[in-house]
Amino acid sequence: MIVAEHVHKSFGKLHVLKDVSLTVEQGEVVVIIGPSGSGKSTFLRCLNYLETIDKGYITVGGQPVGKRKLPDGRIVDDNRKNIYRLRSQIGMVFQRFNLFPHQTALQNVMEGPVTVSKIPVAEARARAEALLAKVGLADKSHAYPIQLSGGQQQRVAIARALAMQPKVMLFDEPTSALDPELVGEVLAVIKDLARDGMTMVVVTHEMGFAREVADKVVFMDNGQILEESPPHVIFNRPAHPRTREFLSKIL
Amino acid sequence: MNGRDFRALKYLMLLTGCKTLRIGPIDIEFLLVILPVLLKGALITIELTVLAIFFGTIIGLFVALMKISRFKILAAIGSFYTWVIRGIPLLVQLFILYYGLAQYLDIQLSPKAAAILGLSICGGAYIAEIIRAGIQSIDKGQMEAALSLGMSYAQAMRRVILPQAYRRLLPPMGNEFIALMKDTSLVSVITMVELMRSGILLNTTYFRSMEIYLTVGVIYLIMTTFFICIINRLEKRLAISDGE
Repeated sequence: MIVAEHVHKSFGKLHVLKDVSLTVEQGEVVVIIGPSGSGKSTFLRCLNYLETIDKGYITVGGQPVGKRKLPDGRIVDDNRKNIYRLRSQIGMVFQRFNLFPHQTALQNVMEGPVTVSKIPVAEARARAEALLAKVGLADKSHAYPIQLSGGQQQRVAIARALAMQPKVMLFDEPTSALDPELVGEVLAVIKDLARDGMTMVVVTHEMGFAREVADKVVFMDNGQILEESPPHVIFNRPAHPRTREFLSKIL
Repeated sequence: MNGRDFRALKYLMLLTGCKTLRIGPIDIEFLLVILPVLLKGALITIELTVLAIFFGTIIGLFVALMKISRFKILAAIGSFYTWVIRGIPLLVQLFILYYGLAQYLDIQLSPKAAAILGLSICGGAYIAEIIRAGIQSIDKGQMEAALSLGMSYAQAMRRVILPQAYRRLLPPMGNEFIALMKDTSLVSVITMVELMRSGILLNTTYFRSMEIYLTVGVIYLIMTTFFICIINRLEKRLAISDGE
């Protein structure tokens, strides 16, 4: 579903991604862990072209992200329409929720289908109501984001991303901005999605969640993927000394 | 007050031994002579203000979008525009538009056209800065969230960024609109007959500066106060619909 090959990315002189390659199969849940500044969020943002990459090649669902291969083998920037279409098929959930504050929960969830997919408002409303019910917020559909707790806001944000019926969901530290007692309700929603067979890439510091839900755990440090294994392997017998050091500090 | 009322009033004054009826330094009898002329001028002032706000806001929005554009050349043009227009006094700009263009390019704008053009161009530069600051004050996560849904940049601006910026823009825009209303008095120098010029013309006839200009000032004050009230109302309404 996702193939990233030899991705490089720099911010000015800072080389944030150094030759990162990763494959995510259909229905697979991949959890990326690693210290702050290791490039994991940047890598995630490259997958839906919120960041451009300097070198390498990424495809999602078989479609190249932001680049196009010409018949003669040259790689050029894709046109913007293709990028917008690709993004609409990739759901993204942010650390700071980023709900639209001038819209109610329901309007937030309807926004994508109505504005981007141009589906009829009544249909979008029905879909949005169903999704809010799925994340346990049917009774909050007319609340504005500011009236919701962090956990509720993040669940609305997940519903908003799901409303586009994406092929893949990307989670960028979805529980890092939450009070500890609200983390559980958001993780429960993500676990549900995993059970439904959604393909997901999750950047997180929640090791318990990674152990329980991940098919594959990826350890990133200093812009590189150092290790990539099933959770029972990486948590019990980490291969790389840097992984061992990182895990011993946080577990 | 019609003629008969006025004669009755004068008779009353004669009886009470009061020579003239005054409000402060203003002789009421004289006020009744100049007021119709000044009010006509005030109507023109309102017309100029409304048109300048309308065109100035359109210019301002475009220049603001240029200034935050990722196309360097557009951003440079936008910055150049606000730099030049905000750095040259409006009075000088009006002289260039009205007298300068006529002499150099043989383009003789009517006073009204020159006035509206000058005020819109100038207002646009200030409004552009207000809108740019408003847009940039919106958290950049909002744009990312909109883009990640698959919106184009234009859709994200229209549906997500501008509706939020709009609420923050209102107070500084209100100030700018009031400044623009007062700045319309400057177009009197290019022979545009609005409130200020009406006052000047009356003064060349009557030489009663205090009474005339004080009245002009009070009319401006009433108009700006009215304007402030409208903006305050709008702000309150938005605060309610914000759900905050």
